[in-house]
Amino acid sequence: MEATAIHALLQSRFGDAVSDYVDGFEKGSLVAAARVAEIAAFLRDDPALGFESLMCLTGLDWDGYDASGKGKSVDILGYDELGRPQASDRVGDGDLGVAYALYSHRHGHKHTLFVRVPRAAPEVASTAAVWPTAAWHEREAWDLVGIRFAGHPDLKRILLDEDWVGHPLRKDYAMPGDWQGVPLDGRDYAACKWDESGVTLPDDVKRPDEPKQPDETTRPETGNQG
Amino acid sequence: MSETAAGRGWGGQDVRRELHSELLEINMGPQHPATHGVLRLLVRTDGEIVHGVTAHIGYLHRCAEKIAEGCDWRQWMVYTDRFDYLAPINMNFGYAVAVERMLGVKVPERAEHIRVICAELQRIASHLIAIGTFGLDMGAWTPLLYCFREREEILNILERLTGGRMLYNYFDIGGLRFDAYDGFERDVLAFVNIMEQKIPEYDTLLSYNKIFIERTADVGVIDLATCLAYGCTGPVLRGAGVPFDCRKDDPYSIYDRFEFDIPYGEGEQGTVGDCWDRYMVRMREMYESCRIIRQAVDALPGGPVKAEDLKKLVKVPQGSLYTRTESSKGEIGYHVFADGGSKPFRTKVRSPSFSNLHVIEKVGPGMMLSDLVATVGSLDIVLGEIDR
Amino acid sequence: MTQDRNDYVESVTPPAGYDPRREQCLDFHLAEDLAAMAGSDDKNFILTTVDNLFDWARLSSVWPVTFGLACCAIEMMAASATRYDIDRFGAGAFRATPRQADLMIVSGTVTAKMATRLKRIYEQMPEPKWVVAMGSCAIGGGPYFKYGYHVVKGVDFIVPVDVYIPGCPPRPEVLLDGLMRLQDKIRGRRDDAKPPKWVADYARKIPYVKR
Repeated sequence: MEATAIHALLQSRFGDAVSDYVDGFEKGSLVAAARVAEIAAFLRDDPALGFESLMCLTGLDWDGYDASGKGKSVDILGYDELGRPQASDRVGDGDLGVAYALYSHRHGHKHTLFVRVPRAAPEVASTAAVWPTAAWHEREAWDLVGIRFAGHPDLKRILLDEDWVGHPLRKDYAMPGDWQGVPLDGRDYAACKWDESGVTLPDDVKRPDEPKQPDETTRPETGNQG
Repeated sequence: MSETAAGRGWGGQDVRRELHSELLEINMGPQHPATHGVLRLLVRTDGEIVHGVTAHIGYLHRCAEKIAEGCDWRQWMVYTDRFDYLAPINMNFGYAVAVERMLGVKVPERAEHIRVICAELQRIASHLIAIGTFGLDMGAWTPLLYCFREREEILNILERLTGGRMLYNYFDIGGLRFDAYDGFERDVLAFVNIMEQKIPEYDTLLSYNKIFIERTADVGVIDLATCLAYGCTGPVLRGAGVPFDCRKDDPYSIYDRFEFDIPYGEGEQGTVGDCWDRYMVRMREMYESCRIIRQAVDALPGGPVKAEDLKKLVKVPQGSLYTRTESSKGEIGYHVFADGGSKPFRTKVRSPSFSNLHVIEKVGPGMMLSDLVATVGSLDIVLGEIDR
Repeated sequence: MTQDRNDYVESVTPPAGYDPRREQCLDFHLAEDLAAMAGSDDKNFILTTVDNLFDWARLSSVWPVTFGLACCAIEMMAASATRYDIDRFGAGAFRATPRQADLMIVSGTVTAKMATRLKRIYEQMPEPKWVVAMGSCAIGGGPYFKYGYHVVKGVDFIVPVDVYIPGCPPRPEVLLDGLMRLQDKIRGRRDDAKPPKWVADYARKIPYVKR
């Protein structure tokens, strides 16, 4: 079935819950976040559609997206050359989104569902009851992007640990300095020494069981031996 | 099987009431020889019987999707290598195809042929490791040594071709980084000739070994409905009796030109979709890969290996596309969102092992503990692509 | 005993006609010692300390713990498999439990979640124990340095490291070489572990930090 026909079928069935037809590299429909679960169930169970396979579920952050197509989207934050987390006072805005790539083994057609949710209340209906594989993908979307899935059987972080702060794939995420005492920033590489006698690391290498040293404002000038 | 999960023993008696046993929670991993990496399985057992499995992943989460947003389209190819480090070329292939489809680039014929040859060589190498380590899980050390012998031959060819022994970064958007060396075809054909003779050796060593069949047949049955619901692909889905392969059913590159069959499980030694079927699908796929390689080498044309009209800093037009290719583990998909610039806006990697591992939580309960090891081994997971 | 073992070895003059290359002994320095003994007047004993003897015994049976993290683990497997056979150097007995192991080869990226487990495994190993950081991820974060919010930038933040093996991933030959550098270190010959002068000269030219 053609993507436009699928979209028309969805629109006739669900009315306002299915809004725009997305015509790009992949064809799909923009649907309302709260009704994804019933739309998904219809897509799977309707004999003409038969989307029994959810290929991929992507959570993403539309913060700072350049809609004009010039590619001027916002840059993400990382660590600098010395391994210190970069900081920015920009506050993230823009929607979060979910994309469901569907495939029907029976009919051999594809369709993609797009969902956009406001950043303040990112909640999407869970499709884990329709496609069990969505359970892990939704946990990943919650973990990395911070989208809540209402009705998920066990919504908790999957890749990161439960006490991780923040959702790393958001565009305004600042890199952590440490986690549970494990240092995640780099050391002062300028203070490392490498000569004939071998490699000398800075003395203040942080150990996980020791309290973290405050950042030094000045680096030794003699580091790296040239 | 499900009766056991409810507390029923093999004879139908209520195990938990009669034995007054309690459930024991044990951790398998993250450092455990049978978990194929840093996987942690939290297993609730009643004696030897598994009552529940929870997979804890993320011990190798290397932030590749975040890195994608920080580097340009070509640079990220390096990181795709490191998802499935047993089959890096297949990972490269998927990403290259994804970006090329969005760019609308026509890859030169020679590059396509070399890509297919590399990908199939890599598939054989990956299946060799899968078979060898599966044998290792079953207590057979010898097959691993034989498998590494042939794998080293493949790595030799790929090393001479690409310069890297294990992680190649050879594919480029719009083609290959450089052309093949003189005598590449000869080396590949020589290897294929040897490989086709070696496969019966593995069969006698492992496939039809009575102990091996006892350990794998009728064990860890994953039926078709479960496969579809849990998104299992690759040898797991084919082992369940469906000849579905992205190379044939969602063709990419030039796979539609080659003649090859899709092996699938038929329940030869037990039930359709058991560990033995998944194992045997891999074994037969190596034959088919050899067939594809022969045809690709025969048809290998001359010419350039890079698309001409492509700038060094590619800019992908705005939009999104989900592209899937067939890696050795299953369907590797890249859902790419582009904003029209030189960096990917968001790249989600749908890795085959991620979904293939998920199913262990469904089929695990009711097994013996040793069968759980067999099932995890037969899924052939790689933690690099699960955690990314 | 104040005399350093290295001085002792170097002060011995081998007998005339003795070619050390003909000795196929496991330990080259033992071959020197035996040669010296054969040439001296009192033929029946070697003077050494108990520590030296223990070190000599240890260095040929360094048992690693089965601790594969990422890509480098496959090269570690390759090093222990058919072609490279790390067993030739006494390090082929990969132990599944850290309590039987001497050596931890940190083969791959150390993530935040894994770091705590890695430290626990290290603490479970009995003394004496050694750590090899294999690959650029274990050395300093490698390609995951800039945006690796979950990657520890070097395993030496977590446990002390004896030998660093560069590469992404290092070839099995390099792992074997790293093992021999570790054996040198166990033997107490730190001089052998020193890189040649050209390495240090070359290293100086690498711009590590934009300054």
